[in-house]
Amino acid sequence: MRKILIVARHEYLVNIRRVGFIVMTALVPVLGAAGLFVAAFFGGQAASFFASTFVPQEENIGVVDEMGSFTPILPEYQDRITLYPDEDQGRAALQSEEIGSLLVIPAEYMDSGKVTIITREGGFSAAVLEDSDILHSFFVDHLLREEADPRLRARLADPIEPVLVSLEEEGEPESGPLSVILNLMVPYFLGILLVMTIFVTSGYLLQGVAREKTSRVMEILLSSVTAQELLAGKVLGLGALGLTQIIIWLASSVALSGGTMGLLGIALPFLVRPQVLLLGVVYYVLGFLVYAVMMGGVGALGTTQQESQQLAGIFSMMAAIPLMVGGFMFSNPNMTFVRVLSWFPFTAPTMMLLRMPLAEVPAIDIVGSILVLILTIPAVLWAGSKIFRMGLLMYGKRPGLRQVLRALRQA
Amino acid sequence: MPLTMLETRNLVKRYDGFTAVDDLSFDVYEGDIFGLLGPNGAGKTTAIRTIMDIFKPDEGTITVLGRPPGVVRRRIGYLPEERGLYQDLKVLDVLIYLAELKGIPRSTAREQALIWLERVEISEWAKRKVRDLSRGMQQKLQFVASVVHDPELLILDEPFQGLDPINVDLLKGLIRDLQADGKTVMLSAHQMNLVEALCDRILLIDDGQGVLYGDLAEIKRQHSPGTVRLRTPDLPGDLPGVAHVERRDDTLTLTLEGITPQQLLGELVKREITIESFEVASAPLEDIFITVVRERDDA
Repeated sequence: MRKILIVARHEYLVNIRRVGFIVMTALVPVLGAAGLFVAAFFGGQAASFFASTFVPQEENIGVVDEMGSFTPILPEYQDRITLYPDEDQGRAALQSEEIGSLLVIPAEYMDSGKVTIITREGGFSAAVLEDSDILHSFFVDHLLREEADPRLRARLADPIEPVLVSLEEEGEPESGPLSVILNLMVPYFLGILLVMTIFVTSGYLLQGVAREKTSRVMEILLSSVTAQELLAGKVLGLGALGLTQIIIWLASSVALSGGTMGLLGIALPFLVRPQVLLLGVVYYVLGFLVYAVMMGGVGALGTTQQESQQLAGIFSMMAAIPLMVGGFMFSNPNMTFVRVLSWFPFTAPTMMLLRMPLAEVPAIDIVGSILVLILTIPAVLWAGSKIFRMGLLMYGKRPGLRQVLRALRQA
Repeated sequence: MPLTMLETRNLVKRYDGFTAVDDLSFDVYEGDIFGLLGPNGAGKTTAIRTIMDIFKPDEGTITVLGRPPGVVRRRIGYLPEERGLYQDLKVLDVLIYLAELKGIPRSTAREQALIWLERVEISEWAKRKVRDLSRGMQQKLQFVASVVHDPELLILDEPFQGLDPINVDLLKGLIRDLQADGKTVMLSAHQMNLVEALCDRILLIDDGQGVLYGDLAEIKRQHSPGTVRLRTPDLPGDLPGVAHVERRDDTLTLTLEGITPQQLLGELVKREITIESFEVASAPLEDIFITVVRERDDA
């Protein structure tokens, strides 16, 4: 165990001083700061450009009331909605940009429900208008003006103000939609973080192994430690390195966003269900160990750095698959395909991270997949280090599958 | 009975049908400087690698310090044939790391590293990067890396490779010092003169097989023709055991049969013959090596 820590510390210290690491770690915050700077500098112009292109303008709406219920317009709508006596005047106002859109309510509206919406460009802005809350309540209020009491009109305009309660959360402080979103976001975020850490760490691991192979120091290392100790030490040391890099990135993004993300982070444990957070961390750690060991082992088989990364890349892909499948899960989080992926150790971590906030995952799935992962780690360490050892000493020729299997059989 | 530091019995190692090591059996005793010799490709490095648990043997047993290969790591020092150290790290840091991996605490490792750097005369380079050292210095550094943790058994694969005469001499002295300290050394080489100078016991390998094995002096005696070179003004014609006499200038070369040179000397002294010079001509190891290998090739 001590030797594993010695290797880990060495890998950490040597790589953290490398120019490559420092540059890459600093790059993200620097780019972030540069981005903010650019935004501030061009600020106003950029903002209004985006607003005008993508955000529907809160322009005034014109109404031509050919049926009579909308005249006069209720006081509360008057600063946004203007009444025009006929369509021609309305169109003129539209042309001269006094209003952004014109609604023509025909005489037979009560029977047909049809309303003509006239906009300058049409398309997107018209569709958005149709959906807007203000129009909905405008119509309800005016149609029921005399007949219903104000409360009924308000309820019809916007029937549901949701207060969310779920059975298992009974008794816990409920903060509404925000906590639902966070429950969803945090595991997804952890899933992405996991994949990122794996990519980063495996890059350093493979680089270091390639360097030790070319410099031939590998034989001396193997005369002092076992391949297992070497692989485990590298995974731990470089995992810590990858984590360090990600923490620096996170910290810098908190700093750059002026602390908003920081506040979010502190509030996090209170808003997210503690079990989700805990399990999230558990899957993150277990997942990382499984992937890093396998990638280290398999990667050592490559004769060139590129080959190593391609070989190891298979496992990164497996980690990312659940993230891609994610969308399909929303409708049925407990379907068979998803459950299978939750048990298979190489897709389990990210799969479970995504599943848990969507629905109550059966306890057996959670306990089972964690157990499988815990058992997989020593198995993968054993197999990975055998392959690692084989790859370490094969200079210049990549072993075929048969040789790999033979190496595994040699106890 | 001296302690056996290393023992192999019927060691066999094959690669893709080629037998690199073929039924090798030998012992290395405590305090030996043991020489593993042979032509290029004879199987020396393969044998060493199986002993160091880098390869697994196909057949046979190996016992290192009483255990199977790869179990005792701390007390063994290894200098591989293919040299290499972390090129972009500092000399001292590399030594400390390698010593720590052997189980030496950090502070002791540092101390020992500095002492050894001094002994091989590269201490001014302690804080420099490995790649800044010349080839010869890197070789010396590599040697230090194999001894810095004070191992009992040292396994050196071609230690003199690439060293200039001054450094060869330095290394020879260091190996002798190690022996004097009670260490055991096994080295592989094909510089016969060095082997002759250093080794007590040898194993000559050819084509993976053991060809000559045992005490060096004994082997030389066995393979040398009984020859004596003598200078004397007056050689009696009736000396017992003298099969043939050849004269060149004032040196007589006597071929003996049935008696040892010691016995001849005794006889000469007894007869009070004036002796100007008396030399037991034993064949140099190089000649023995070539003869033995050639005989096998012809067979």
